[in-house]
Amino acid sequence: MDKKQIGFLKKDCADAASWSLRLLDELKNQKLLIAGGTGFMGSWIAEFIAFLNDNHQFNTSVVILSRNTDSFKDEKKHLATRSDIQFISRDIRNINELPPDISYIIHAAASPDNRNHVSNPIETIATITKGTDNLIDSAFKLLNLKKILYLSSGQVYGKNPIQKELISESDFGSFDCNKITAIYPEAKRLAEATCCAYSSQYKIPIVIARPFSFIGPYQSLSKPWAINNFINDALNNKTIRIIGNGEPIRSYMYPADLVVWILKILISGKINTAYNIGSPFGISLKDVAEKIVHIAQTNVNIDIKFNNNDSSHYVPNITLCENDLGLKINYDVEDTIRRSIAWFKLLPEASILE
Amino acid sequence: MRKKIYIHDVSLRDGSHAISHKLDKAQIIAYCQAAEAAGVPSVEVGHGNGLGASSIQIGLSRLEDVEMLSIARENLIKTKLAIHVMPGFATINKDLKRAFDIGVDLVREACHCTEADITERHIAFARERGKEVIGALMMTHMASKEILLEEALKMQSYGAEGVVLYDSAGAYLPHDVNEKISFLVANLNIPVGFHAHNNLGMAIANSLTAVESGARIIDGAIRGFGAGAGNAQLEVLVAVLQKMEYETGISLYKILDAAELAQDKILEEIPSIKNLSIISGLSGVFSGFAKHVSRLAKEYELDPRDIFIELGKRKVVAGQEDLIVEVAIDLKKINSTNNSKANG
Amino acid sequence: MKRKKLDIAILGTGNIGTDLLIKVMRSEFLQCSLFVGRNLQSKGMSKAINLGVTVSDQSIDILKENPDLYDLVFDATSAMQHFRHAKVFKELGKTVIDLTPAKVGILCVPSVNLAECLKEKNINTITCGGQASIPLAYALGTVHPDIDYIEVVSAIASKSAGPGTRVNLDEYIETTEKGIQMFSKCKKSKVMLILNPADPCIDMQTTIQATIKDPDMKSIIQAVNKMVATIQRYVPGYKLIVPPTFEGNRVIMTVRIKGLGDYLPSYAGNLDIINCAAITIAEEYSKIFTLTKSEK
Repeated sequence: MDKKQIGFLKKDCADAASWSLRLLDELKNQKLLIAGGTGFMGSWIAEFIAFLNDNHQFNTSVVILSRNTDSFKDEKKHLATRSDIQFISRDIRNINELPPDISYIIHAAASPDNRNHVSNPIETIATITKGTDNLIDSAFKLLNLKKILYLSSGQVYGKNPIQKELISESDFGSFDCNKITAIYPEAKRLAEATCCAYSSQYKIPIVIARPFSFIGPYQSLSKPWAINNFINDALNNKTIRIIGNGEPIRSYMYPADLVVWILKILISGKINTAYNIGSPFGISLKDVAEKIVHIAQTNVNIDIKFNNNDSSHYVPNITLCENDLGLKINYDVEDTIRRSIAWFKLLPEASILE
Repeated sequence: MRKKIYIHDVSLRDGSHAISHKLDKAQIIAYCQAAEAAGVPSVEVGHGNGLGASSIQIGLSRLEDVEMLSIARENLIKTKLAIHVMPGFATINKDLKRAFDIGVDLVREACHCTEADITERHIAFARERGKEVIGALMMTHMASKEILLEEALKMQSYGAEGVVLYDSAGAYLPHDVNEKISFLVANLNIPVGFHAHNNLGMAIANSLTAVESGARIIDGAIRGFGAGAGNAQLEVLVAVLQKMEYETGISLYKILDAAELAQDKILEEIPSIKNLSIISGLSGVFSGFAKHVSRLAKEYELDPRDIFIELGKRKVVAGQEDLIVEVAIDLKKINSTNNSKANG
Repeated sequence: MKRKKLDIAILGTGNIGTDLLIKVMRSEFLQCSLFVGRNLQSKGMSKAINLGVTVSDQSIDILKENPDLYDLVFDATSAMQHFRHAKVFKELGKTVIDLTPAKVGILCVPSVNLAECLKEKNINTITCGGQASIPLAYALGTVHPDIDYIEVVSAIASKSAGPGTRVNLDEYIETTEKGIQMFSKCKKSKVMLILNPADPCIDMQTTIQATIKDPDMKSIIQAVNKMVATIQRYVPGYKLIVPPTFEGNRVIMTVRIKGLGDYLPSYAGNLDIINCAAITIAEEYSKIFTLTKSEK
């Protein structure tokens, strides 16, 4: 990454710190393990903690646990070379001993890329379920453990049958578990149940977060999700194609908000409680596409194909986090898209899709 | 509002099988211009088995892929230029990149109906390059509707913007079409399509059943110009769909003109249902095998029908043309032992 | 005097790695001192543990830390990972037989260029289709050194192609094409791969077709038969089912490869042939390796 990109991320971190410092005080002098720490969320946590250490004397250290840490080390040298960030290259399913002074664990290990889920469903299930089981089991022996945060998924809610505009933490719909597309949410549900089991039987302090959708730095535009495709097409001057009617409502949280939310839920979330993470500002895919075209200042066409009648809502109700943990949203839809496009424009063409 | 049906024209790709992949420049120019004038939404161009498939195994194209595509590109404006791509034949580096540089608009990523995961990387690459991508499941008579849905869902997850079921052997009857298409339509978020072959005389009937079962993409070829007994005859599709009050956006008169032109300038013969096509359809063998079987049957003095039946027993899939030689040699051996017994 | 067996390490515990392990354990020249990967719970790992082999989930790191435990490594991971591993082995001065399509080292077909490869530190086994077809292409090249075009089609059982193979079809094709051209000296080559889901599973089958003007069929048949016999010495399931036939304007021949059924059933001839090749290289290496060691 070049100076411009690092500067961009620092600005985001500074903005995040400007409102959240007092919320995160308990993080000072702690040692944090991030399982699956080389992905989108892990990278942001490492980035933000590095910033807090450099500018606000947090003295927090991070251990990144991942099956393959090499590409993280290659691409994010500004993080990889720091003394407050360490690495363990292991499969989460085989970890046994964790560094004994770990006080917090964030479990973010699982690819959210739905292409992997269908091409390699067995591995998907195994990593999520066996991995969660093994990580918590290993954490059992930690003397200083204060809490584990399991990052589940908003997809565990299943279908949203009553078309609620905002899905809150108890709004479970159902889905057909005997389908290739159910692999990921079913595994995530079993992982949550595993958390519940350990918490009940061994009193391990676990809190759960259910992330919805995000866009911004450290995401790849090659992911098969609508907004990623839209931005990619807009930046490449290609027609933006919407397969359905453009009516599905989604929301996108900017990662500078996300990172504060994750850390706050980790340190202050109530044990055995699940919290939604995401933006409550729903927007239709058609409006997302139009906003992207407007903000990217291109004149690409938007082709709505009306191939299905999907008008589902996938937007979290976040009052639990707002009321109980004092969290808030700082980037509205416009800000999120504007900042994201500014970031993707900074990247050399080839690396946008990496 | 009249329902829209997207007609995808495979004449210059599937038709290549019928003329042993010998499309020439003048033919491509003439047909692209005629299709453009008729308002055909997309025209697929290339070797019968698609990009990168020109080979001794399947048949050598007269023109290189890049030549065919460049010629078509120059003669298509509103009509999209489409390619058929099978992983295992074409690669991103050798083939897809060059095709995209020429300016292909639409990609059919195709595979045998149970192997959708081999299309993951190609679909991702095509989407990243901003191309429209439709998944193509071939030889779908060989799999149940549940398996087809599973494979179609994979393609949907990879980023395909539609999935087309190919009746590559022309083996479907209307109730098969209805069963499979309506099941996919009910369970996918992307449009479903159907690609017919006419081995059992069912191409138009099956295509209409597909439409009535919810398919939104129908493949057709001018005068039925395609492998074996040919595809659903494009100009008939346009006429029938018009009569049934569907909207195709294609001008009937102009597509009839295109048919006339194709018959004069491209087709060696008008596809018809020959005895062998019937046997091929019944035994569920890929339509593209027809020419190879006829040639080798002559060479080895065998009944081509026996070869088809044997190929069907061995469950061959598209691309396994080399098996025809093996089957011919095996049958020849059996015949000669039988003969020597009879004589002895 | 009983010869000491060569200590080998296997990196990668998927189907290829596990099948290699079983073959190594049968070898009179080799023994497996380390079986390493990332996931202790994988099927391969539990197989190895049951066989009493030393395993580790520390992958390349454990090999980096314990260079004294092995003399040679099989890398059965992926091309992407081999690029990194290759640097490590180079620094350690270890010989590696690379079963991925990474093509870092010399391309090796044991029946053709084994001796030459044994001088190298990084030996690549090309692809399964390459091991099946390149020797025959080479045989054609010895009779007709100026062949215009050689084409190879392999059909394998769907079940024998794991997720790694499926996502890497492009690399398979490009690596095999390169190998065909290099060994046969033909001007152009084309490689295709078909996955066939038929049940019961089909055996791996590979057809080689070449455009040759006025082929010397007698010499071709002789060269091909000789080559097939050589290959059969290390790949017992390798069989010529369509002998070189001049048909139309092409020479066509087909081989079928039945696996030994070591780890995967016998339909996985594709896996078997590349592993048989790797084992042959390692066994030959063990002969010269021990020699130089004892000379010291």
